Amino acid sequence: MVLFLRTIFHVDMDAFFVSVEELFDPELKGKAVVVGGQRNERGVVSAASYEARKFGVHSAMPLRTAAKLCPRAIFVDGHPERYREYSERAYRVLSSFSPLVEMASIDEAYLDMTGTERLHGPPLRAAHNLHQRMKSDTRLNCSIGIGSSRLIAKVSSAKAKPNGVLWVVPGQEARFLAPLDVRDIPGVGKVTEQNLHALGIQRVGDLGRFEDSFLEQHFGKWGLALAGKARGEDAGGWFDNEVGADIDAKSISHEHTYNQDTGNAEQLESTLMRLSEMVGRRLRESGLHARTIQLKLRYKDFTTITRAHTLPAPTQLDTEIFEQARALFRKNWRKGGEVRLLGVHASSFERQPDQGDLLEGARRERWKQALSAADRLRDKFGESSVALASGMKGSFRERIHENPAGLPGKTRKP
Amino acid sequence: MPVEAIAATSTTTMEITVSKFELLRELTATQGVVERKTTIPILSNYLFEAAGDKLSLTATDLDLSLRTSCVAKVKKEGACTIPARKLHDYVKLLPDADITIKLLENHWVSIRCGRSNTKMVGMARSNFPSLPAFPTAGVVKIPAQVLRGMIAKTGFAIASEESRYTLNGALMVLKPESITMVATDGHRLAHIERGGEKFEGISGEMKTLVPKKAMDELKSLLDATDVEVIEFAKDESTLYFRIGSRLLTSRQLTGQFPNFEAVLPKDNNKSITLHGEELSQAISRVAQFADERSRAVRLKLEKGELKLSASSTETGESEDSLEIDYNGDTLTIGFNAQYIIDFLKAVGAGDVKLELKDPQSAGQLRPADVEEYKYRYIVMPMRI
Repeated sequence: MVLFLRTIFHVDMDAFFVSVEELFDPELKGKAVVVGGQRNERGVVSAASYEARKFGVHSAMPLRTAAKLCPRAIFVDGHPERYREYSERAYRVLSSFSPLVEMASIDEAYLDMTGTERLHGPPLRAAHNLHQRMKSDTRLNCSIGIGSSRLIAKVSSAKAKPNGVLWVVPGQEARFLAPLDVRDIPGVGKVTEQNLHALGIQRVGDLGRFEDSFLEQHFGKWGLALAGKARGEDAGGWFDNEVGADIDAKSISHEHTYNQDTGNAEQLESTLMRLSEMVGRRLRESGLHARTIQLKLRYKDFTTITRAHTLPAPTQLDTEIFEQARALFRKNWRKGGEVRLLGVHASSFERQPDQGDLLEGARRERWKQALSAADRLRDKFGESSVALASGMKGSFRERIHENPAGLPGKTRKP
Repeated sequence: MPVEAIAATSTTTMEITVSKFELLRELTATQGVVERKTTIPILSNYLFEAAGDKLSLTATDLDLSLRTSCVAKVKKEGACTIPARKLHDYVKLLPDADITIKLLENHWVSIRCGRSNTKMVGMARSNFPSLPAFPTAGVVKIPAQVLRGMIAKTGFAIASEESRYTLNGALMVLKPESITMVATDGHRLAHIERGGEKFEGISGEMKTLVPKKAMDELKSLLDATDVEVIEFAKDESTLYFRIGSRLLTSRQLTGQFPNFEAVLPKDNNKSITLHGEELSQAISRVAQFADERSRAVRLKLEKGELKLSASSTETGESEDSLEIDYNGDTLTIGFNAQYIIDFLKAVGAGDVKLELKDPQSAGQLRPADVEEYKYRYIVMPMRI
């Protein structure tokens, strides 16, 4: 139950990756642009401009499909470091409006603006100011949804796009939602949509005609959450969290899909090294030590295996992560089997006191110092400025997605 | 690979009678070696071989094999294989009487005892892996109780973690007049040396990595034996331990045991003597309130007092203190409680010495009154 009225903003950057690319190459403006790789490459679309979307191109679609749908589109490689940089800038703007900011992904955030009226004025004025500040500080457009819950804010920002602001006045939530397609509710995907359609539920308003217990019977707990959402409440799963509440990362992982499947052991292990480096860097960035290392391996025919190993002592060293990942790989890879995708995943995090190592202590300490120095170099000169030799052959362009699944991400640590 | 000669000429027959008591004793002694979760079905079977007046039983998991025997009335010499766990469970339930074991067609085996009659599904004897034979040369005799004591005082420090492969066993060093055993998991190290022995056939030194599983099995065989001397031998791939009528063979761990001598502390100048039992009790108490995963306890050396403490956000905090004879500077250091308790359990009754240098350096524990063993235990601290 909401005990007092909340004011939540959902700020969503408009066609974020494409807009950032336009800043670097103004020629792209107004054209059908696909970010993520070249038209004949394997891999998926990270983002598409509004012009490309008119042809049915959307993120997470294979690049080659996009090329078929929109042959005239300009295909550009993604630049993760640029997006991170601009995400960072956007975050700085947002955090000057409220201390409670939660980056749900690289290009969207929730702000709890409750109680900021005396500082920023009524919601619409605050949103207008925020919108202008975003434009002037980052040269990027965003859309802002305002509501009494995260859910309403999220749905209304989607309706405000592009470059708009939409405020759902408190009390009008159900009326706002009623005519919308059930698919507009965050969390309703293809399957739920089909199941709802089967029950004759097409619009959000249709949900209100059913008892909560009926929905629970059909969809379990999720049905109850759905009933709440139809009324505009934050119900179920992640929506129950307070904006800015500390949701610690539970795992860190990196994956790579090959442009061409490979059964070359040397190349595969080299990729693992590269992925381990990326995971190690993020562990050090977040000040975490991982106890469990997991390997993900997808063969040409899409059969996928994941194998994990738990270490006696948690680590954040690339070399140790790699050792585990490689051991799992050597144990489980079908020799010569062509691999499509590899992933390295770290979890079971600890920040706890360190157990000293009798035999490897000095060596680990030296590695730690060397890797931190490498991190500083990367901060300054870019991700590819320094790498462990065994990972060089495995270097690849990092791919990044604009929230492809439409799911909220993790807390962004300021 | 040489195979120990089997007297039986035919392997398609076998018929013996053996007392339940004798058979069960040997079945129980070999259970530890039978592979539990094997993907190779034959490894969950015993190999039974009857010849002369003896029944030989062999169990193996390929890494470790145990061959033992008992007296039997052999009517027809021969061999068969029988599911190990099922046989053990069944024989336990039989009355104390003679058991007749007979090989039937299709590798089935009949077990008769009094009015009980069972046929078990065996497998072909030829599927059973052949085992290396005990070498005829280079055999070293080791006093059973010396070896047993050394295993008990080091075995617990062996790494259970598979990735540090060469730490999955203990290093045994034989010299003409001494035997040394060292085990470490990278966090702590147990080292024991015993001089004043005479090992014939050893010149210079003989270094052997004994796998953890072999150490455990050896320990339980030594616990159950009254033989005074065991025989040890090795070839390129296999270690052999003969304990009376039982022969334990183990695949060798290959690789280099770490250079442990480099980590033995040399200048730990803050030394205190403690009563082992009292220290063990105090640590066990405060460890109840240690972080469950790290098990970190804090030791604070002060003038005349050792303060032990632990705390965790979930359970609270706890402190204990022991009177000590100490006049040096105050020193606070953290240890994994379990590591200390493991040592105190192994060392037995009596006083122990704790020798420290600083909060970052390894601490050393050893018995205060040095007897014929030189025993030391080195533990890396935790950052607290």
